[in-house]
Amino acid sequence: MGRPPAIILRQVSKEYRRDQIRIPVLSRLDLTVAEGEFLALMGPSGSGKTTLLNLIAGLDRPTSGEIIVHDLDLTRLSDSQISRWRSDHVGFIFQTYNLIPVLRADENVELPLLLTKLSRRERRQRARTALRIVGLEGREDHYPRQLSGGQEQRVAIARAIVTDPYLLVADEPTGDLDRQSAEEILNLMEQLNREFEKTIVMVTHDPNAAKRATRILHLDKGQLVDDVTRAEPSPPKVAESAASGDPPYVADLDTARRQEARL
Amino acid sequence: MALVPLRYNLRNLAVRWPTTLLTVLVVAIVVACTCVLFGLVDGLEHSNAISGDPQTLVVLGKRADNETSSYFDVDKAQTIATLDGIATGPPRTDAQAAAGWPDVEGRPLAAGEIVHIPIMTRTDGSRVNLTIRGVDAASPYLRPDFQIVAGRYLRPGTRECILSPGMSRRFTGAQLGSELVVTDKETYRVVGLFTAGGSVAESEVWTGRDDVAAATNRTGSVSSMRIRAASPDAAVALIDTLSNDNRFVLKPIRESKYYADQNLTALFLTFLGSLIAVLLTIGALFAAANTMFAAVKSRTREIGTLRALGFSRPAILFSFLLEAILITTLGGLLGALLSLIASRWSFGISDFNTFTERMIQIRIGLVPLAVAIAMTLAMGIFGGLFPAIRAVRLDVIKALREL
Ligand SMILES: Nc1ncnc2c1ncn2[C@@H]1O[C@H](COP(=O)(O)OP(=O)(O)OP(=O)(O)O)[C@@H](O)[C@H]1O
Ligand SMILES: [Mg+2]
Repeated sequence: MGRPPAIILRQVSKEYRRDQIRIPVLSRLDLTVAEGEFLALMGPSGSGKTTLLNLIAGLDRPTSGEIIVHDLDLTRLSDSQISRWRSDHVGFIFQTYNLIPVLRADENVELPLLLTKLSRRERRQRARTALRIVGLEGREDHYPRQLSGGQEQRVAIARAIVTDPYLLVADEPTGDLDRQSAEEILNLMEQLNREFEKTIVMVTHDPNAAKRATRILHLDKGQLVDDVTRAEPSPPKVAESAASGDPPYVADLDTARRQEARL
Repeated sequence: MALVPLRYNLRNLAVRWPTTLLTVLVVAIVVACTCVLFGLVDGLEHSNAISGDPQTLVVLGKRADNETSSYFDVDKAQTIATLDGIATGPPRTDAQAAAGWPDVEGRPLAAGEIVHIPIMTRTDGSRVNLTIRGVDAASPYLRPDFQIVAGRYLRPGTRECILSPGMSRRFTGAQLGSELVVTDKETYRVVGLFTAGGSVAESEVWTGRDDVAAATNRTGSVSSMRIRAASPDAAVALIDTLSNDNRFVLKPIRESKYYADQNLTALFLTFLGSLIAVLLTIGALFAAANTMFAAVKSRTREIGTLRALGFSRPAILFSFLLEAILITTLGGLLGALLSLIASRWSFGISDFNTFTERMIQIRIGLVPLAVAIAMTLAMGIFGGLFPAIRAVRLDVIKALREL
């Protein structure tokens, strides 16, 4: 492996309790995600994708097991510590964008920076930069309802990257978008992964979206299956574009073919 | 603690303005009503306070508690006026002369008066006890800041009367120039309007003493006498003489004490006001709480998002509490404004001591404003607290799943 692991899950189980009934969602799950990897999580509805994503992002706690992100054991952190860690190091991208409707685009992007010690001017500056990266220069003073779905999602991405986190989590980021907008969002995420070397975990139902990732995992009945890199003892290495540096593992042939075609 | 920006709350209030406006109005009405009530109490106490001069004595019959139930011989009144230690009348100014004031320069400031309380009809058709006071020459000089504001002073013995502008508006036939009909046989023509610094006199109809005596067959007696002592020591001496001297055996009371003892009404209104304030506050509190519960419910996913971004529970609590307080503060300000507008009118209320009409100017002073601020904060804090707690207790993950 070229890169140190960004995320390590060891024997992670998660079950919900409704009244007396225990609902197991994830059982004894192991997962390692390398730094700079773009991982796509697929699987049937209700298989626990969102649950897994929430665990990795420190929004939820496992019933048992260890979750280590950048050498930090999340399960040992207090609620306020984990909330602090989240605001510093995790960027969230939601299917429904989750922008604050009464705040303008730049104010939405600036929101996570209010939790930092940055000055007002620095915050403004950073928010503008983030909006420029997602291609929304000149839309700073638009309210969410004045933007298209794709633009809203780009504002949400700007908000996710404005604190310069090392991890981006995206739960069906293109689920509410038309084909064209979805492509644009995926291009953007790919760019963030390559140019800005963000580790990305993305849940998606769309095989086309998943193909953009450097690895695809399937979640089914509480288990990660179809993990090609695990199934095969010596995974094939595929040359990545120069910009991305060390190539992460490639999930399947589809991805490999796509990458070759692009070269 | 990193706080959710204030403009988030302000804009949310602006966006759902119909609900905001409605809640603000409810709070405003509640605050205005309470302010007006407490303003009335303030006005009543103020009126009593300025009516009472410690150096002026109200002389009543031995067994009387107030002027209504008091009487004694007019001869006694004339003798009292000759006592030492009574202040003498000031020179009459040109303006006073022009307005028809009696001239009492150098004569003792002592006025034997008759109080007569018939039932009268107000302009709104309701019936109430009206105080008619038959006055003496010195009477206007014994009231604070007495002024004729329209027409002229009454001429005794000609069935003329004067009253305050507030009374003039409230009673049928009390307009300047018209005939105030008490009974078929007792009528007075209104020849002037007067003010007396907001004192009790402004709630009375003034006519000549002999006019009232003739109309009510009370010739030869007075209800009470007012005398102004020349000095504080003279006041003490006069009280002693009037109480104990065999010629009199009367009940002299310092005017300030006389009116202070009459504040049963103020007490009752304070009690009523407090009760209403508490009940209305609780009512409006529920309105505010309802609004905020709706706000929390409709913004569940936003709250989840803010929490996911790293905003703390206390920050969320504070944000929603602040929003509630913003609403009620807006309402409180509007309510205070409304009550200030209302304070430009005077109100006729029933005095529970004498069961007579009292004209009271609402005074929005410190007490009503303090009550308004307390109510506003109570509504904001208690109305906002439970919705805010609900917002805080939301599970981030469930909140994010909300549509
Ligand atoms: N708070 C909860 N209480 C009880 N059960 C829950 C809770 N949250 C999730 N579950 C259950 O856990 C399972 C996994 O849910 P999850 O949302 O992770 O699935 P998912 O793979 O993201 O599905 P989808 O593709 O529909 O978004 C589901 O059966 C769901 O009903
Ligand atoms: Mg899901």
